[in-house]
Amino acid sequence: MEILKVDNLRKAYGSGEAKVEAVRGVSFSMQKGEFGAIVGVSGSGKSTLLNCIGGLDDADSGKVFLNGRDILAMGENERTVFRRQNIGFIFQSFHLIPELDVEQNIIFPLLLDHRKPDRERLEEILEVLGLQNRRRHLPGQLSGGQQQRVAIGRALITRPSLVLADEPTGNLDSQSSQDVMDLLCKASRHYQQTVLMITHNMDLTFVADRVFRVTDGTLEELGGARQ
Amino acid sequence: MRDYLDLVKVSAKQHKRQSRMTRLCIVLAVFLVTVIFSMADMEMRSQMAQAVKSDGSWHVGFGVDEEQGALLAARPEVEKMARYGSLNYHLQDGYLLGSFETGICGFDRELLDIFPAAEIIEGDFPKNTGETVINELAGIKLGLGIGDTVTLTTPQGEQREYRITGIAKDTALTAQHDACMMFLNLEDFGQLYREDTGEARELVAFVVFHPFCNIQKATEEICGRLGIGQDMVRQNVKVLALMFQSRDPYMMGFYFVAAILAALVMIAGILMITSSMNSNIARRTEFFGMLRCLGATGKQVVRFVRKEALDWCKSAVPAGTLVGVAVTWSLCGMLRILSPGLFDGMPVLGLSLPGMGAGAVTGLATVLLAAKRPARRAAGVSPLTAVSGNAGTVQAAKRAANTRFFQVDTALGVHHAAGSRKNFLLVAGSFAFSIILFLSFSTAIDFMYHAITPLRPSAPDYYVYSADTSNSIPGELAAQLGEYPYVKRAFGRSCGEAVWQTEDGQRPLTVISYDGQQFQWAKRDLLEGSFRDAAEGRGLLFAYHEGSPAIAGDCVSIVCGERSFEIPVAGILGDVPFSYGADRNAGSGGELAICSEGLFRELFGEEGYAVLDVQFTPGVTDAQVLELRRRIESGCGEGIAFSDKRISNREVKGAGYSLAVFLYGFLAVIALIAFFNIMNCIAMSVSARMREYGAMRAVGMTARQLVRMVRGEAVTYTISGVLLGCLAGLPLNRLLFSALVTERWGDAWELPGRELLIILAVMACAVCLAVRGPAKQIRRMSVVETIGTQ
Repeated sequence: MEILKVDNLRKAYGSGEAKVEAVRGVSFSMQKGEFGAIVGVSGSGKSTLLNCIGGLDDADSGKVFLNGRDILAMGENERTVFRRQNIGFIFQSFHLIPELDVEQNIIFPLLLDHRKPDRERLEEILEVLGLQNRRRHLPGQLSGGQQQRVAIGRALITRPSLVLADEPTGNLDSQSSQDVMDLLCKASRHYQQTVLMITHNMDLTFVADRVFRVTDGTLEELGGARQ
Repeated sequence: MRDYLDLVKVSAKQHKRQSRMTRLCIVLAVFLVTVIFSMADMEMRSQMAQAVKSDGSWHVGFGVDEEQGALLAARPEVEKMARYGSLNYHLQDGYLLGSFETGICGFDRELLDIFPAAEIIEGDFPKNTGETVINELAGIKLGLGIGDTVTLTTPQGEQREYRITGIAKDTALTAQHDACMMFLNLEDFGQLYREDTGEARELVAFVVFHPFCNIQKATEEICGRLGIGQDMVRQNVKVLALMFQSRDPYMMGFYFVAAILAALVMIAGILMITSSMNSNIARRTEFFGMLRCLGATGKQVVRFVRKEALDWCKSAVPAGTLVGVAVTWSLCGMLRILSPGLFDGMPVLGLSLPGMGAGAVTGLATVLLAAKRPARRAAGVSPLTAVSGNAGTVQAAKRAANTRFFQVDTALGVHHAAGSRKNFLLVAGSFAFSIILFLSFSTAIDFMYHAITPLRPSAPDYYVYSADTSNSIPGELAAQLGEYPYVKRAFGRSCGEAVWQTEDGQRPLTVISYDGQQFQWAKRDLLEGSFRDAAEGRGLLFAYHEGSPAIAGDCVSIVCGERSFEIPVAGILGDVPFSYGADRNAGSGGELAICSEGLFRELFGEEGYAVLDVQFTPGVTDAQVLELRRRIESGCGEGIAFSDKRISNREVKGAGYSLAVFLYGFLAVIALIAFFNIMNCIAMSVSARMREYGAMRAVGMTARQLVRMVRGEAVTYTISGVLLGCLAGLPLNRLLFSALVTERWGDAWELPGRELLIILAVMACAVCLAVRGPAKQIRRMSVVETIGTQ
């Protein structure tokens, strides 16, 4: 079942001679439960592509369909609500809310929707993340790896169709990186969520169903590492 | 770049917005202190000018004889001295010029410099014996001028002739009492006094001391050396108070209050700057950590922060001072426009050095002191913190936000405000200070209304009355005078004595009549009953009198002459501002009732007035007033007396205007500062958390929810500030009220509800507007750029 469809996406910065085309006519699609990895050198346009797919940034042209709905055609408010209900974000520098404890950070998207969290689901996520004993800790009291696990929990709590991860292991040691990758795999395999991850580290693409490379704003599929 | 400190300029360019906010905060604080101290200085100058105009510029008056006078004049601390004596001060001892009771003053020529009110407008002060100066009124009444000879009849029946050498301007007192005055030199006065009273003349020596002289100490020393008793010393309390030289217990209380208010203004300024600096530097911990990482020592970071603070001062302190001076100028200009003539002496473009100095010193000292702690904190940032990226722009939270009671957006807003105790106390404290300042200064308004009776719209400029309180002024005269182009309004009152038959016996009752206009003015004083019934002649309005049996709606039985009437009590009036006798209210001392002119005619059968009030249009000349006087004299014949209240009205109006403009100016400035402070605090807080907001937007928080979060923060600060402000402000308001008002007039303190409402409304407006700017900023925010680059 097709979850994500990107059609001829373009995005440029600056104008005239300083114009940089960060994304040049990218098209691809992903099925439910697929794990995709995007690789590429710094400045190749990976993050811009991910931000446009997630609706964080506006594209100049093209379409991004998620569950059949064009994200880029939505108004700002509608897009934000759609994003929190359908897309989970994981950032390199975690972006947790320092004033909320682990549990509050995880259920944050639900609280924004004025929804009561499902306790069972929450406990399950905390258990999977290994954060049951840390639920009342503030982000400042956690290690980098633990903070990234909280961010993954936050991304998964709404059972989004798509999880976008921008260098989720960039700030972590190897053990924590491994833990994070395991969790993302679990999201894809166990919960049938589509995951699209940016990484510099080719070693981390071994779990991916499909691997893409971005070069100067263009996307090519390298195939599947697991295939 | 030649020096690492040049980085300050580069950093300022990068953090333009934050620097601008901190600078604005310094400007506001300096402006607040400058304008309040400058206005206080200008107000003191204005009050001094008023005091000198009405009471003279003397400091202390000593009752002295000839020898003491000579010794006093020779004292080194005495700058100016003039001796003065008077006869027939109360105009009842029988010293007559023609048929008019005349006050006689003898003094040294120098007295004219000390009392500007006693100005000789034509001719000169008598140099030789047998010469005199008379006042304008005496000249008009006697039809005499310079060079003429005037004859003074003494109570013993002796007649003395004097040649007139000059005409003196009427003072407020002489105009009000329609009094004739003559000035003699001391030689003539001494002779008159000795021959008339058989005693050596008693003189008061009015002394002006040298600047910077400790007047109280000098007075004590003079009294001790010259053997002058304390009962022979009087002080010009107003002038001394304005020179901070009074030891009058009430003035000491006043100084105490002024000191508290000055300290409060300073603290408000300090709080504003400190909270802004703290937030500005805390936000850049990562940057300072990076400096440390690159090899800057802790000391160098401290120097960096201090240099940055001084750079802000370079532009902010002069800007704050300039704005303060500009506002002071506009207030002074306003006073001159409001009351031309009265404030001619006030410099429109005057500079107040104490005001500017206080503003600049507060700004500079506070910035340097406030920079000290953040600088140390910045210096203490570990290089590791910077490189690990853990030195967030906002201090790490110590406890989690409470999402149980509030929705998550509001909960986060509340937490942003209350999360850091120190920041919370500084911001809420600065909000609270606005309330404390407002409540404290508002007691000065109460003081003003007690100290200066405002001129009522009904106050006459010219007051004509029949000397025997009979209704002998023709009723139609009011309408005739009203036709003069320079007469704004002329209205009269009849006056009659009646007897009120009550259950307890008889009570004397003075009944006076009002015309339609006077009834309109009385409306605001109506305590109970129907105003209309009285105006239309269907009843009496009784003036409030403790223990009076008059109740609105009842009927009273009164006897006027030989006729009895049953008349309803239409209502009760709280106050009757009009005079209805010979200058003071010369009623029977009993009850007082007001009725319409028609009802008065019915009761007493008289149509004339006992009193006629005239109000002039602005710019009326003395010649026009004289013309009117002649007209009245010809219309009324004998037995009419006049009281010219123009000068005293102008003085009352001037004193009221001056104090009101300054006090309301103070309050407006405080409200303005509260307003800007709230706006700035919220804007700074939002700008400090932009990155966090970006992350929230990324994970799905809508702009509306973010705005609600900012509103939650603003409201938390404001509510806490209000509570804190009321907690400290109300007791202080009570303390100041009792020092300024209760001790002198006995009024009990009441909750200043109106003042609280005003400042709370200002704060509420500020909060609403404070959220608007950040809301726009949040809506425009690019999530990717915010989380990526901030």
